[in-house]
Amino acid sequence: MLSDVAFPLLAAFGLSLAIVLLIYFIGGKISAKGVAKGTGKNEPYACGEDLPAEESRVDLEKFLVFALYFLIFDILAFVLATSFYTIGIMPITYSLIVLIAVTVLMYSGRHR
Amino acid sequence: MLAYDLFQLIVFPGALFLFCLAFLYEWVDRKFFAKVQNRYGPLYTGTLGLLQPVADFLKLLYKEDLVPKACDRNIFSSVPIVYVVLPLTTLFIIPISGQTGLVAFNGDLIFVMFIFALMTITVFLAGWSSMSRFSIIGSVRSALQMLSYEIPLGLALIGPAIAAKSLSISSIVQWQSANATWGLWLQPIGFGVFFICMLAELELVPFDIPEADTEIVAGWRTEFSGRKLAMFRLGRDLEIVLASALVTSLFLGGAQPLGLIPPVLVFLVKSLFVVIMLSFARALFARFRIDQMIAGMWKYLLPIAILQIILIQLGLGV
Repeated sequence: MLSDVAFPLLAAFGLSLAIVLLIYFIGGKISAKGVAKGTGKNEPYACGEDLPAEESRVDLEKFLVFALYFLIFDILAFVLATSFYTIGIMPITYSLIVLIAVTVLMYSGRHR
Repeated sequence: MLAYDLFQLIVFPGALFLFCLAFLYEWVDRKFFAKVQNRYGPLYTGTLGLLQPVADFLKLLYKEDLVPKACDRNIFSSVPIVYVVLPLTTLFIIPISGQTGLVAFNGDLIFVMFIFALMTITVFLAGWSSMSRFSIIGSVRSALQMLSYEIPLGLALIGPAIAAKSLSISSIVQWQSANATWGLWLQPIGFGVFFICMLAELELVPFDIPEADTEIVAGWRTEFSGRKLAMFRLGRDLEIVLASALVTSLFLGGAQPLGLIPPVLVFLVKSLFVVIMLSFARALFARFRIDQMIAGMWKYLLPIAILQIILIQLGLGV
């Protein structure tokens, strides 16, 4: 248990982000640099066929909205299922937060 | 005391220790998997090939970092970093060197579940941003797999939380230690469900549908190379550590002190056992088809998980 850090989880997150960024940066420094440009090295992988990259898109925005709804209700179900020992304001607060999140998501306007 | 806190975060139960653990567990996994198949496994780098995962990681760091020109550059380069940071942050929560996690807080079980869902969304973004057909098929399969295993996983996590009347992993470990029992003996069904869901979450062999290398080249990782692929491998190893640590903490009693043996050693032995079980399952089974996976998860695993919750509510296994 940490004793002196104000926001332990944020500190852990920041520290791991810093370490990983450091490794990533070192990797960029020591990696081999390619010479041949325009030889098809930067094309997407294909086993000999011609697969233009522009044709393989999925609708990300729709998927992300579904994923967010799923995430929100998943966590809400978890909170409600484990909250029957706490009678009172806490589960209601959680539910209200979720309700606000869903409302914001519904009326954020970019998907209708 | 700040210096000691920093030491804890960076060196001992912190980042450096976790990286070493990740490489060690990858070695154990590969060696055991090879032994089951009558092969030798990693052999030359270091004693018994112990340094082979480190060597692989360094080799990938030294390789050229190719970025396909069609891909979404920002997402493509930030996704590998997120993929390592998420399990690394979550591992700080789990009690490893004592009965309380390093940054444990009340309700961190919900946080762990949230991180698992977020990992899959990261995987989806990785495949989507690289604009290759194989990657996109892999990432869509990965999202589909998440939609199937997430509900049984949540139900299996609810079991220990209800039994210990707490949503904190550290309190669940302390509850098991105080009652001198393990979650495994009280909720064997929940343990099985959780184990299967962990196999699906880690995309290990019966559920390696998102990266089925005989169908779609390397799944969502097809376009990644060099340091990005190194990051993905490191993230995968940390995820294996996270899964085994979670199984250990929730169902196998966690880091209990055992006489004079320090809790870290107890934790290491238990989680090594879990890693060996994971790689044994990986060696025994063949890959499921997608429809078999979804039907199995919804038709069989979900009712079993609900049955476990009902049994707990009836007072069995509390």
